[in-house]
Amino acid sequence: MKGKCYIQGMAAISPQHTFEGDSSAQPMVAGSSNMLSCVEPDYRTFIPANSLRRMSRMLKIGLTTALKCMQDSGIAVPGAIVTGTGKGSLQDTERFIKEIRDYEERALNPTPFIQSTYNAVNGLIALQQKCTQYNNTFVHRGFSFENALLDSMLLLHEGAENVLAGAFEEITGEHFYIKSRIGQWKSETVPNNALHEHFSPGTISGEGAAFFLLDAKPSDKSYAAIAGMKTLYKPSPEKPGTALQQFLQQHGLSMPDVDLVLTGSNADSNYDFYYDVLDGMLQLPFKHLCGEYDTASAFALWLGAKMVKEQQVPAQWFPMLQQQPAQLKNVLIYNHFFGEQHTFMLLQSI
Amino acid sequence: MAERVFITGMGMITAIGDNVAGNLHNLRLLRTGLGYTRHLDTIYKETLPVAEVVHTTEQLHELAGVAGMEGYTRTTLLGLVAMREALQQAGISDVQDEPTGFINASTVGGMCDTENVYFDIINPEKSGDFLKFIDTLDCADCTQRIADTVGLNEHIATISTACSSSANALMFGARLIRAGVLRRVICGGTEALTRFTLNGFNSLKNIDKRPCMPFDQDRNGLNLGEGAAYLVLESETLVQERQSAVLAELRGYANSNEAFHPTAPSPEGDGAYAAMKNALDMGGLTPADVQYVNVHGTATLTNDVAEGMALQRLFGQQTPKFSSTKPFTGHTLAAAGAIEAIYSVLAIQHQLVFPNLHFKDKMEELYIVPETRLLEGYPVQNVISNSFGFGGNNASLLISKYEG
Amino acid sequence: MEDLKQKLKVQIIEALNLQDTRPEDIDDNAPLFGEGLGLDSIDSLELMVLLERHYHIKVEDPREGRKILQSVASMAEFIQSKQTA
Repeated sequence: MKGKCYIQGMAAISPQHTFEGDSSAQPMVAGSSNMLSCVEPDYRTFIPANSLRRMSRMLKIGLTTALKCMQDSGIAVPGAIVTGTGKGSLQDTERFIKEIRDYEERALNPTPFIQSTYNAVNGLIALQQKCTQYNNTFVHRGFSFENALLDSMLLLHEGAENVLAGAFEEITGEHFYIKSRIGQWKSETVPNNALHEHFSPGTISGEGAAFFLLDAKPSDKSYAAIAGMKTLYKPSPEKPGTALQQFLQQHGLSMPDVDLVLTGSNADSNYDFYYDVLDGMLQLPFKHLCGEYDTASAFALWLGAKMVKEQQVPAQWFPMLQQQPAQLKNVLIYNHFFGEQHTFMLLQSI
Repeated sequence: MAERVFITGMGMITAIGDNVAGNLHNLRLLRTGLGYTRHLDTIYKETLPVAEVVHTTEQLHELAGVAGMEGYTRTTLLGLVAMREALQQAGISDVQDEPTGFINASTVGGMCDTENVYFDIINPEKSGDFLKFIDTLDCADCTQRIADTVGLNEHIATISTACSSSANALMFGARLIRAGVLRRVICGGTEALTRFTLNGFNSLKNIDKRPCMPFDQDRNGLNLGEGAAYLVLESETLVQERQSAVLAELRGYANSNEAFHPTAPSPEGDGAYAAMKNALDMGGLTPADVQYVNVHGTATLTNDVAEGMALQRLFGQQTPKFSSTKPFTGHTLAAAGAIEAIYSVLAIQHQLVFPNLHFKDKMEELYIVPETRLLEGYPVQNVISNSFGFGGNNASLLISKYEG
Repeated sequence: MEDLKQKLKVQIIEALNLQDTRPEDIDDNAPLFGEGLGLDSIDSLELMVLLERHYHIKVEDPREGRKILQSVASMAEFIQSKQTA
């Protein structure tokens, strides 16, 4: 997709202190299990108590991140709302499956069913902000946020004033166990701050939400430009290399022009080889901060945009950083989800 | 100038037919697909009507051309049957001869199979065959299985906006074509009956124990159905290059949100009105140009009031023929938008208006009534197809006769 | 009857997660929906679940439900009429 868009506001709830205060001053949060959970804010300052009482965790995380992003951008009603989520509200899905069994299909409370629908967060954002415009939700593993971003770029191209684009994901103990049965997580316990020292099959799980207010035009407030995105579905081992060259070329760049690559490298020996195409480029991994999940690329985008805006890498989150890059003009993100859905995103300074 | 978007292939499976021709046949015979489930394990087996595809999951493996292969959920198989027909009808023998997108829609992914083994999956003491269904819990599984089986690898996505999911899939595909991102995109949705959704809608007291009665004063809810449908969309340039046979034009579309209530529409049908109006505006048509509206018409108390009010606001006394085909297919959720888009194309191709079955009495809130007869030889040029859903997600498609 | 109303209030608060509300805040005759407690149609479905789970009373018709769920008093009367019936 050609055509730039600009990040005019953003917010993230993640396993790090990314939501409140000066996130750059916050130390890295280190967990003690292979399941990273979000640092959750006090939702009452964002959501009326009467609405909050029924909401499950995913809805609160998603809605609050969206609202904070709107606040940050200074826009109350966006021109469209587009999101991505791989799994939606897992807690509600799990709860409804169990209630069907426990109450033998009788006297069921509808709330978990309603909230388990993948577009529930979108509906809530629209409802709370009274946004009657275009509204869409993508649910496709490592392409969920990517398609939301593509849709947003199309909307801006079609003339939408601005778009609220975001992603949200949660992990539950039960779902962590389910995915452990197909080997997604490391069998040994690895604290997130030591993730990259444990190269072995599997990774650590995570969760989070990130939202962006996107505009076709830049302003003084712009964090960064999203210059382009490319997705690859189940590529052959050679494909990412040639696709990366082409992607950079389309934007008038070659590998040395990229100041920094944020890589989805997650110490998973099954799929890490794809990242070899980045050899020779300055790279920093990010999944020790957020864990692995369907929409982790949204966290990477938040992180990259923050760095571009501040022209600095938050050193306390990257102990592997040897020296600050001279400049952060072109920042590339390369992420894939268990080797199946691959994404390149290019961020540029304004 | 953005490219025009044409429909060049269609494939479907529903309770009333395994393919497009079968559906048309039974629509003409006024044969409903509603009955009682044979495949779903539920206490409502004999009390809540559903529109179930007659075949067992094993038979669907055969129909989908994957007999004996493992890990295909019923959702995937229904989708694969429809996909194969759509490709065949569009004359596509190799999907990779042109970069082709696949935009699928699903509301609960492989829940139909996972809900039967979920408690084994979460039980560390259990192990066995069911483990192959672990990764079918989400909505992407069916999309990827279908894509991988037929070789679609260019751009894939899955949309989930409840009952408007596949209408939004069609819209997203059309927009990718108009923006010049792709020249061919296959769009639609697939949905299998599940205990999860049946109990979900039942907990909302939205299911009628009788065959559903859209737009009837005495209606009391919907009946669920299952099925899948895909439409091949091509840009005008590609149509000219390939000399594709054009079935109809996807001339307009719109998506709007009500921002009213998590599960109920506004009584005045604001979102429905906006979706239909904007779709018409986009297509450069006026209400007078529309001959038929395939309404969402779920037969829930609130939908039909809201949608009816919206029709009256948009069309006034000149409301065109309209009917809900959900008494034939049940409400197929993520597949509904695509199934009804195909019915809209059939209405244009065969100059037909389908009857709204089970209607008796006009609703007290409305002055309009649906068409209850099968109209053959009816001049249908432009059709609006509505899909409205939870979360206030509304989508309308404007499908028009291809005039060359 | 008073005991039943008291019990209902506790159950309503629990079922609907009305965190800042105490049983004594709920007037027997105040409307539960709209202005009163500010409940909506999903709450009304949850209250019907409450009736079914705690009192084994099934309300089939949502239109009938609206009448029963007007206030704590109307709920209590309905429960009593079913139990003595």
